[in-house]
Amino acid sequence: MKNQNFSATNNQEFEEVAKTLIRRDFELNRIKEKQESDLVELDRIAKMLVRRDLEISRLQEQREAELREIEANASDLEETKAALMNILNDVEEERKKAEAERDKTLIIIKNFADGLLLIELGTIVLFNPQASEFFALAEGEAVGKKVNQFVGQPLGNILELTQKKDRQVFRQEFTINDNLILEVSIVCVGGANLCSGGQLVILHDITREKVIERLKTEFVSIAAHQLRTPLSAIKWTLSMLAGGEVGKITNDQKELLDKTYRSNERMIGLVNDLLNTARIEEGKFLAKLIKHDFIKIVNEIVIPFGKEVEKKGLLFEYQKPAEAAPSVEVDAEKISLAIQNILDNSLHYTKTGGIKVSLTFDKQPNEFLLTVADSGMGISQKEQLRIFSKFFRASSAVKMETEGSGLGLFIAKNIVEAHGGKIWFESEEGKGTTLYFTLPAGGLAGKRFK
Amino acid sequence: MENTTTAKKILIIEDEVILLDLLTKKLSREGYEVKTAQNGKEGMLMMAKEVPDLVLTDIVMPEKNGFAVIAEMKQSELLKNVPIIIISNSGQPVDFDKARGLGVFDWLIKTEFDPQKVVEKVKQVLTRASQ
Repeated sequence: MKNQNFSATNNQEFEEVAKTLIRRDFELNRIKEKQESDLVELDRIAKMLVRRDLEISRLQEQREAELREIEANASDLEETKAALMNILNDVEEERKKAEAERDKTLIIIKNFADGLLLIELGTIVLFNPQASEFFALAEGEAVGKKVNQFVGQPLGNILELTQKKDRQVFRQEFTINDNLILEVSIVCVGGANLCSGGQLVILHDITREKVIERLKTEFVSIAAHQLRTPLSAIKWTLSMLAGGEVGKITNDQKELLDKTYRSNERMIGLVNDLLNTARIEEGKFLAKLIKHDFIKIVNEIVIPFGKEVEKKGLLFEYQKPAEAAPSVEVDAEKISLAIQNILDNSLHYTKTGGIKVSLTFDKQPNEFLLTVADSGMGISQKEQLRIFSKFFRASSAVKMETEGSGLGLFIAKNIVEAHGGKIWFESEEGKGTTLYFTLPAGGLAGKRFK
Repeated sequence: MENTTTAKKILIIEDEVILLDLLTKKLSREGYEVKTAQNGKEGMLMMAKEVPDLVLTDIVMPEKNGFAVIAEMKQSELLKNVPIIIISNSGQPVDFDKARGLGVFDWLIKTEFDPQKVVEKVKQVLTRASQ
């Protein structure tokens, strides 16, 4: 039984080992499996890490690109900033220049001898010190005010002009009071008629000029008048002496008296020219206009004139309308004087040939045309513009004749124009001159002197 | 003037003595009875004594000027119809218009008329006035 025992013991041990081995195998298997699964896990982790690395390096690259872009942008900004600074500097410079200009302009405006006002949309926006002085109105009392707030005041009368349809005014005279006469001009600022920049009112003080002008005119007028009295005495005395009214005179004596009489007449003519010129300038020239037969007026001057022309050995021709023409409103004495001056002037400078006078009437435009054509010395091209000026005498005329005041055509022009007519001429040196003037018929078309 | 029975009476008012003399001579020789005054005031006194048939008057004169004389004459019943001729060198167109408005017959500018023309004008006005 011992063997049996032995054998039984061994079997038990084997069983124990086998069980252990089996357990070990299990264990090993389990470990192996665990290792395998760990390996799978490791592999997954490794792969994930690789992916992360890739992702990280991609992000890094992206960031670097972004950084580069930012850097580029920053330098762009830097450049833009510099450019802006430059522009700002320029603007600042320009602003300073503009301010300097504005200051200069303001100094000019403030110290300008003329009054200056700027009107924008019916409101005064500028009123310089000179304007303040003219109207005894402080700048603050005018600037910002509407133009129509000054109605009934001298300033208002002037400002009224800025509201007229024709928005520009050229040298209109305004008497503010006894000591102030202004010449007003209004100009549009920006665009001739739109006045988009407002209207500039310029007030020029002409009081002094007016006073001097009046004194000069008065002086001439008084001097001429004073001269006329002794001239009348001489005229009357000579006329009575020559007429034998104060005793018989010889032919020689009569001849001398006649010559003296003619000299005196010339003197009277000159004084009258001066007086008429003074009156034209005083604006007191025309008497009331009365209806007259113009053909008759012209006849009364031209017919005796024709005889005078022929007496000088020149040819004379006179054409007048065959039919009756409408009457004209004229100051007959003055219009006669104008015609006489034109004719005298023509005869004065015509030494050969002759003079043709023609009077026509045109229904359209209802006016008379008087034409005086001579074959006289004519007037040079360069002097033609001055023919109607006061005291003008052509150089050729001065050489030939010393007589003449140079006022005849000036007076004629003023008379014709005051009657609403026009006067002009054509002339060629050495060949002659043709002078024309028109006179509107049927009511006064022209303006009268004040 | 051939009228011997009643010579027409003319009053000349003029401050310039030489012109006054010349006109007096000329008109007296024509047969008019000429009275003279050297200013407007004197002229009015003369007319108060005797009404003339015609007045020749200057305008610019001391004491009383021609326009004042004319205005006074037009106020007077006796004198308002006496014809007036102005003889003056000082005529401005406005004065001519004013004179015409006052019913003055004529305005003679001295430098433009001989005494003979004055006589003709006087005759003409007296004929017109008597019609």
